[in-house]
Amino acid sequence: MDVQIIYNTPHEIPLGWFIATYFYLTGLSAGSFVVSVIATIGGKAEYKPLGKIGAVLAPILLILAPLNLIIDLEQPLRFWHLFVYLNFTSPITYGTFLLTIYPISGLIYAWFVFKGNQKMASFFGIIGIPLAICTHGYTGFILALGKGRALWSTALMPSLFIVSAMVSGIALLILAASIRNRFFLKNTEEKERDKDLIIGLGKFMGGIIMMDIFMVFNAIIVLLTSTKEAYEVVKLMLIGSFSYEFLGIEIFLGGIIPLFLVFNKKTRKSLRWLIIASILTLIGVYSMRIVVVIAGQSIPLH
Amino acid sequence: MVKIGEKRKIRYGFLIDLRRCIGCHTCSVSCKAENDVPLKVFRSWVKIIEKGRYPNVSRSFLPSLCNNCDNPICLKNCPVKATWQRDDGIVMIDEHRCIGCKYCMASCPYDVRHVNPLKRYVQKCYWCYHRVDKRVAPACVEVCIGRARIFGDINDPNSEISQLIATNPVQVLKPEMATEPRVYYIGLDLDVMDPMKGWKGLTHEDGGEL
Repeated sequence: MDVQIIYNTPHEIPLGWFIATYFYLTGLSAGSFVVSVIATIGGKAEYKPLGKIGAVLAPILLILAPLNLIIDLEQPLRFWHLFVYLNFTSPITYGTFLLTIYPISGLIYAWFVFKGNQKMASFFGIIGIPLAICTHGYTGFILALGKGRALWSTALMPSLFIVSAMVSGIALLILAASIRNRFFLKNTEEKERDKDLIIGLGKFMGGIIMMDIFMVFNAIIVLLTSTKEAYEVVKLMLIGSFSYEFLGIEIFLGGIIPLFLVFNKKTRKSLRWLIIASILTLIGVYSMRIVVVIAGQSIPLH
Repeated sequence: MVKIGEKRKIRYGFLIDLRRCIGCHTCSVSCKAENDVPLKVFRSWVKIIEKGRYPNVSRSFLPSLCNNCDNPICLKNCPVKATWQRDDGIVMIDEHRCIGCKYCMASCPYDVRHVNPLKRYVQKCYWCYHRVDKRVAPACVEVCIGRARIFGDINDPNSEISQLIATNPVQVLKPEMATEPRVYYIGLDLDVMDPMKGWKGLTHEDGGEL
């Protein structure tokens, strides 16, 4: 049947770049925090610097992240309403508390890490891991509970967000640790030991990238055989106006090339290639946030 | 069963009889005038499609407004309880409390909410509660030239809307969303209620293109 739309009045899409950036920053923070705690609890002395880098990055990123949310509000000066008027069916209300408690616990953790107090650092690290995962998982729930949008309202969304947060967090740590290795370490022996550690982190990143691609694949396959809206939004991502961002940047540049660099015999031992792999991964995850937030709202609702 | 002397709870509902709709947009215009709705946003609008191939063609209309659902997702997702529901079912927004996070707009399956570009908070169709409270029909109902729009109490079996719902095949938009919308349609066309039919992908006006 030939159908021609003569007149329609779609509204502008409500959520945009600020929200995507916010998701990205919380993801970076949660990922680097979890790796930092693993390094701190891990016990071996050579892991300790990694724990320190993560302990610094995580709270800084998480102080920047909510700024995006407040700027995105239509009434930024009313942000305090979030603390006073609570609605316990809304994931944003949970986020209010998580975004307050998690950076505080992260700061306490960082303080003990730098004081060298192993016992207290481990304690606050173990408290912080579920907080970090919740802080990023709840952002997945924000999208998953937006039931009007076919791309968002899947049960996969929170786990997908947590996995991609781990990917980006590890990539950021590799980048920071490589800079430290390159410019701040003078002792050659220490430099080599540190390099092995970064290469190990690269393998860890490769494993989680595989998990991430697997989950994205699952989501796409199910959406393709789901409702009509879901089919159309996937079409938009595969062959439509978001194919460049999704297939090109997120999957190929941010997934397949880093995987190749991390596991290929020739490149996996080189710090330079590892830095390139982690930069590409960081770009890929940002592209994923943009695609999820903006492509998700790009199909018409009426 | 309602016992004698028991006060029945009012639940307002809205019925659009598309056999009578001519697609004149009077409802959209009257809504703008009644509620001071700014440019670029709409609380009530009419989607129009043409289908078929000459000489077998027809036009179909979809007049839309807030469904004031029984199970509104906007109310569940509002982080500051700025969205609330009256006893008679009308979903309201506390404009002094709304922080403008736009999460309700992102989660509404019907795209009925908008940010007021001048006052910077979220608004939507409230079925003209200020008129309803004074026992006057909503503006779009009063001006509809074909009398296609009927407003009333769906809990009262003697109201015009209840009688029409009871005696006609009716339909709501996106029942699969489980929001239990309370805008009923008679004679709704499949192709006009499908957002994907005739959609030509993203254009710049949609605001969706990167």
